[in-house]
Amino acid sequence: MKSDRWRVLAWQLAILVAIIAAWEYLTGIKAISKMPGLYWIDPFFISRPSKIVERFVHLASPSVRLSIWAMAWSTVQSTLWGFLVGITTGFAAGLVLGRSERLARISSPFIVAFNSLPRIALVPLITMIFGFGLLAKIVLAWSIVFFIVFFNTFQGARSVDADLIHSARFLGATEGQVMRTVIVPSTLAWTFASLTPSISFALIGVVVGEFIGGESGGGLGYLIIQSLGTLNAADMMVALLVLGVIGIVMALGIRQVEARLLRWRPEYRKR
Amino acid sequence: MTASRVRIAIRDLEKIFVEGAREVHAVAGVSLDVRDGEFVALVGPSGCGKSTVLNMIGALVAPSAGAVLVDGQPVRDRAPRQVGYVFQKDTVFPWRTVEDNIALGLQYRGVPPATRAVRVREAIALGGLQGFEQAFPATLSGGMRQRVALLRSLVVDPEILLMDEPFGALDTHTKLTLQAELLSLWEAKHQTVVFVTHDLSEAITLADRIVVMTRRPGRIKRVYDVKLPRPRDVIRLRESDEYSREYGEIWHELGQEFRESA
Repeated sequence: MKSDRWRVLAWQLAILVAIIAAWEYLTGIKAISKMPGLYWIDPFFISRPSKIVERFVHLASPSVRLSIWAMAWSTVQSTLWGFLVGITTGFAAGLVLGRSERLARISSPFIVAFNSLPRIALVPLITMIFGFGLLAKIVLAWSIVFFIVFFNTFQGARSVDADLIHSARFLGATEGQVMRTVIVPSTLAWTFASLTPSISFALIGVVVGEFIGGESGGGLGYLIIQSLGTLNAADMMVALLVLGVIGIVMALGIRQVEARLLRWRPEYRKR
Repeated sequence: MTASRVRIAIRDLEKIFVEGAREVHAVAGVSLDVRDGEFVALVGPSGCGKSTVLNMIGALVAPSAGAVLVDGQPVRDRAPRQVGYVFQKDTVFPWRTVEDNIALGLQYRGVPPATRAVRVREAIALGGLQGFEQAFPATLSGGMRQRVALLRSLVVDPEILLMDEPFGALDTHTKLTLQAELLSLWEAKHQTVVFVTHDLSEAITLADRIVVMTRRPGRIKRVYDVKLPRPRDVIRLRESDEYSREYGEIWHELGQEFRESA
């Protein structure tokens, strides 16, 4: 099993190296010799690995006004805030509506209507209301995360096993204790399942917010849009790579948290 | 036993379930007294309303007519504190360890942590679950989970225990083991037990009295006194002549109900 794991890893590395090498090579040779500008693959559009590294080093140096670190931090910060606020509010709303038939029925058309609105379409309005800054990005991320968590929690709260509630009551639980020891933990299992998609969508929301957020909002989305303005594919690639790393790290982090919180579930037992 | 007081008094209990336009008459005119320390089994073909009777005692189902009194007090929307319940279905909390599941009732009742720990340890020793204190239910067999559920109910010392086919989903061997454990636990405290089962041998093994119910609408067909001596040995009992005699007699009556419902 162990050697198998290494073999898989070796293949993955080999493929990665091959892609980067081909990228570097094919963007460096001319399709027709001595004809300027006609490459096999034009680095104008997708840049070249060596160029990207060069730009990364430049953007990472402390001498630049807006470093890649500052932009990455702005993106990470907004994502985490949107994620946290989205989870807590989505959970609270899902729990309350999931346990109250009447409230659920009253609010259902509003929820369906708001959720079927493409969130991207709200970006200009959110920017108008919350300005060009961190807050607008957080609100946008929140508006996406909220619904993902809400729907999962709502479903979870409605599917709490009635016999577990009865058992708790027979053991002497007050209604408050039933809430804390049966309904909340049982619902949380559903909520946790929405954490991984939530962090990805929070990141999407933030980057879209940064596209129109301008410099005061900052972030990697701003770097991407700015690079579009200057037709600078290398900077764009730098932003994409950093975004990719952020996405992976966040998803792995959430997986760890999830495995810890759901360790009572058989599918998380090993590992 | 005759002198002991009535703990559960069931008076002309009726239950009609309304499912859309259809009405199902589940329980019809059931009256029964269960005395202190008595072990009563409710037996009958499936769908005879025996679980419904139990659920009306435990306030999980509201009667359509009639009443249930526990210690003289009518049961309304919540079972009184002295009543415990063991479900057939697995109701161990999957997100809590064995230890934390058994501690639940004590925690709800505000027993201080130090006392709680002692009583949980005692219960775990009693149920032979040492070494599994920190295990999550998903890692346990069905029989062990049901043992946890039983200990969890007993750790708060319920004077009245309602059991709805608690061993119904287990294999024969596990079932016999748990019956033996239940008997020895019961011998120690003599709780008042109402035990629902469709398994006649289980009823004879455990109960002082067996209430045979008819198929729907469920009525009491006959009540048998099980005259087998106590304490009973689950395995040896089955080989005894008295057991066979009791079994034959009740089966004759009950078999008729099963045949007609089949």
